[in-house]
Amino acid sequence: MAANFWTSTQRAHWQLTREKIADMRKGLDEEDTNKGLGLAYPLPEHKQLQLYFHHCLQRLARRLQLRQQPLATAETYLKRFYLKVSIRDTNPYLMLSTCVYLACKMEECPQHIRSVVNEARALFQEFIPQDIAKLAECEFHLISELNSYLIVHHPYRTLMEVQVPLKLSTDEIMAAWSFLNDSYITDLILLYPPHTIAFTTIFLAVFVRPAIHTQANLNASGSTALGMGAAAGAGGSIVQPSAGQSVAVSAASGINPQNLSSARLSQMSEWFAESGVEMEAIIECTQEMISLYDAWETWTDKVCRESVARLIRGRQLS
Amino acid sequence: MSATANPSASSSLANATAVRRTLPFGNGNGNNTPLPAMMAENGDVKPSKDDSDASDNDDPDDLNTRTKKKYTKDRKLGEGAYAVVNLGHRRATATEAAVPVAIKKIKVNTEFRDGLSMDAIREVKYLRELHHPNIIALLDVFSSKNQNLCLVLEFLDSDLEMIIKDSSLTLSMADVKSWMLMSLRGLWWCHKSFILHRDIKPNNLLLSASGVLKLADFGLARSFSDPYRPMTSNVITRWYRPPELFYGAKFYSSAVDIFSLGLVFCELMLRTPFLPGNTDLHQLELICQALGTPTEENWPGVTSLPGYHEAGVHVKERGTDFFMNTFIAAGESGVELLMKMIRLDPRRRCSAREALNANWFSQEPYPTQPVNLPKKGGGKGIEKVGSDLKRKAGELFNTPDDAGRGKKLARKLDFGG
Repeated sequence: MAANFWTSTQRAHWQLTREKIADMRKGLDEEDTNKGLGLAYPLPEHKQLQLYFHHCLQRLARRLQLRQQPLATAETYLKRFYLKVSIRDTNPYLMLSTCVYLACKMEECPQHIRSVVNEARALFQEFIPQDIAKLAECEFHLISELNSYLIVHHPYRTLMEVQVPLKLSTDEIMAAWSFLNDSYITDLILLYPPHTIAFTTIFLAVFVRPAIHTQANLNASGSTALGMGAAAGAGGSIVQPSAGQSVAVSAASGINPQNLSSARLSQMSEWFAESGVEMEAIIECTQEMISLYDAWETWTDKVCRESVARLIRGRQLS
Repeated sequence: MSATANPSASSSLANATAVRRTLPFGNGNGNNTPLPAMMAENGDVKPSKDDSDASDNDDPDDLNTRTKKKYTKDRKLGEGAYAVVNLGHRRATATEAAVPVAIKKIKVNTEFRDGLSMDAIREVKYLRELHHPNIIALLDVFSSKNQNLCLVLEFLDSDLEMIIKDSSLTLSMADVKSWMLMSLRGLWWCHKSFILHRDIKPNNLLLSASGVLKLADFGLARSFSDPYRPMTSNVITRWYRPPELFYGAKFYSSAVDIFSLGLVFCELMLRTPFLPGNTDLHQLELICQALGTPTEENWPGVTSLPGYHEAGVHVKERGTDFFMNTFIAAGESGVELLMKMIRLDPRRRCSAREALNANWFSQEPYPTQPVNLPKKGGGKGIEKVGSDLKRKAGELFNTPDDAGRGKKLARKLDFGG
């Protein structure tokens, strides 16, 4: 973290409205259509692509052993970039590798350009040019398109800060943390200040999850993808697997939600009520998250992978 | 079909910024004709012909072009490891007169193509967010031909090092106080924003024409580390580096900047670097001799720093008497502040905020008003920027008096002609 969110360029220039985002995307789409690209290279719906890019970024980050923070910064860069430049004019794999490369420098954990390219090639093979100059060039464009506003304020810090005063259990923090990781698939970071997103994930972890949890136990589908468990609690240094395909994931962490006393819940709701956080925004964020998990249920990467490959091959962008 | 619809590597290299959204992904697929160069010699851009929606405010490249068009490049001022600095000016508009600026063109490492250097990234990153009268202002960023990132900085024509070295100037304690006050304000703002400068030294403290001091060069700056995340100890120019960094401390704080500024304070009074070490070891020796040898008594925990080694010299940590002897001119309260800034134990150094509250600043002699501060004089100490700059700078900025004289002179010549 550096500088102050309230005076930051993030707040001044990169906190948008849903309408604005929709407009920007529509503008890019129309331009593509005019150029005849839209028809020639159909792409899946935006949400689908966002899920796909999120997965790609996460795989790359894991190969590079990144912490969550640089990954989150990279995701934010990619989102910002694709609001200004059409996906069809880029090689998305090269672009997301560039975001990771720049984010690492920004978050003071620089990776050598060569190792980013190598790891990216291991994942995306021929779609990543071997020549590191391509990625360097791409970095330059990324910075230009971002108007060199590079500091991103993330919700993770708020989450850690309120852990003690809100008496959040390790279990709750872990759940909130993985909700937070998933929130980067959505546009939330472009829409809301970081603390609002942080409180949304706490809200989800404390109030929404136990309800789903009970259901999940019935379905006995709880114990997937729980590698995240201990590590996230212990300071969460390496990129964690996300909450996975369903909210149910958090179930496996072993604490029975029924133990949550109603006293605790009322204490929390009292806190939310008195805190002055905008509940309306939190509800909106919650809805966004739930619709993400909805979309995730039916999502497969095949369609995205194929259409992106067709795009890159067709336009000779690799 | 317009040429821009087909990105190609060759055209994107040459015209990356003039052509809308031509991204460097293309392989050059044969049917591309290279685009005509759209840049004029002086870095100005002629409007691209097929830029059909130039009125679209959201278009990044148009924004870039518009930004670029606001400035002209005049002349080269100097060249650093990763940047070329040019003098330029913002074109006069209907409402504003032309303003001189420094345009720092970041060199993309052409040999290794290794991406932008960390220095450049850091400078952009922090100056984009920091706005304070005592921190150099980043006015704009634009990209130029050949993919260079250009930072438009406010133009500051001298620095504190020039002043210190200019033996024709007499610096009063009120002047020193004024510079210290402004430096501390800038530093306070950095620290308040969780940013360490990590290269405080006289030639990074720049002075505007009206005498205002501004922190510059954020190439080594970084945000405070998260707890338990190590930082490199290999920062800060040796003469201003605090002892904990020589001992390899990986977890340090804003106290490193305070120590550096404390040594600048000494230098302002002595008019020569206080601790000019030749090597790191020599530097540590000088610190021990001047300030005292770090021990567990005066600095609990020092012996467990990773690079700690026992110093050859054993000097008791200096007390008020020593500093009073050396820096008598600062007076009691000045010496008190100085000692708090250059304590051996970083935890016992004062913060920028505490330093600003020091009695010294509210006592007579009061800090000199920036406009009345000594300016670099007739020719000494400017050689490093070049005589060319000196003459030009003298024309552009001087004290109001000088500017008036210049005008008169010009008029005289006009009449004479």
